[in-house]
Amino acid sequence: MPAQMRFRVYRYDPESGAKPWMRDYAIEFEPKGKKVLDALIAIKDTLDESLSFRRSCREGVCGSDGVNVNGRNVLACVTPLEGLAQPIEIRPLPRLGVVRDLIVDMEQFYRHYRAVKPYLVNLDPEPENERPQSPAERAELDGLWECILCGCCTTSCPSFWWNPDKFLGPAALLQGYRFIADSRDQATDERLDFLEDPYRLFRCHGIMNCVEVCPKGLNPTAAIGKIKSLLVKRAF
Amino acid sequence: MRRVGGSRRGLDMWLMQRASSIYMALFMPLFAIYVLAAPSLDYAGWRALFMPLGMKVAVLLCVLAVLLHAWIGLREIFIDYLHCARCLALRLFSYFAFATLYLACLVWTVDILWSVK
Repeated sequence: MPAQMRFRVYRYDPESGAKPWMRDYAIEFEPKGKKVLDALIAIKDTLDESLSFRRSCREGVCGSDGVNVNGRNVLACVTPLEGLAQPIEIRPLPRLGVVRDLIVDMEQFYRHYRAVKPYLVNLDPEPENERPQSPAERAELDGLWECILCGCCTTSCPSFWWNPDKFLGPAALLQGYRFIADSRDQATDERLDFLEDPYRLFRCHGIMNCVEVCPKGLNPTAAIGKIKSLLVKRAF
Repeated sequence: MRRVGGSRRGLDMWLMQRASSIYMALFMPLFAIYVLAAPSLDYAGWRALFMPLGMKVAVLLCVLAVLLHAWIGLREIFIDYLHCARCLALRLFSYFAFATLYLACLVWTVDILWSVK
């Protein structure tokens, strides 16, 4: 007989005109070995088909099911149910507009991502095969390229909460540094020019919520620190 | 409206905050040890402590570091928390008001330190 689990889930339907509210669910569900996403799918299947949330790969690769579980930003698909205090409170990622239930509007997040030009800028003639890197140069990108843009870090950052339109946020800054650190990129100076701004970069106060919540174990604060070091090197 | 570019600023403030914190972290414990180790803290001892020019300058630099650090920190708080339609004026007023206040504190510190003769 599976145990009964209690959930409290954020609900919002813009078409109804009603304010957002928290709905309680109780479901017979064996938590052993299961993740939060499994429970959400079970609730949608058996209790409430109107519950809306994003998910795709359901194994921590696509980054589409970032939610706030018991006050912590996580990927629902890789967060074990075991050990979570009940009722398990599931809310959309903070500070972004809610489209419906747990689905947030990522436009602001992507706008910051686009702003750091997340692609290689190299004006040399295109080589026949590839642009080679030494193993050491390639190793510089470790801890940066793994980012899946789930938004857990940026939406847990108080600096982003206060200035979401101007502060790029940890995810975009990590991605910005990913291309600054790339030996094949030729736009370092322009990238640093863009980032050197009291809002875009310097709203980061080293709070490190981003490091705390990153489901891929990345360290945006360290990347931001490296951007600052490069700015200092360039200035003096 | 045209999108404005980056301001190419922020690095100086960030560096000054770092530098001032290093000075405070070095000077304050040393000063505390020096004062605690002093044989007596009567008027004569206190006066002897602040008589050398080196001590006056070191203390003045520490006060300068505290004020600079505080002003940059306040500026961060204003940028973080003061935003509304008319908050630009409030932010600028706050920057300048606190800059004036802290400069006055600095001048006052000079007056106090150099009054010890």
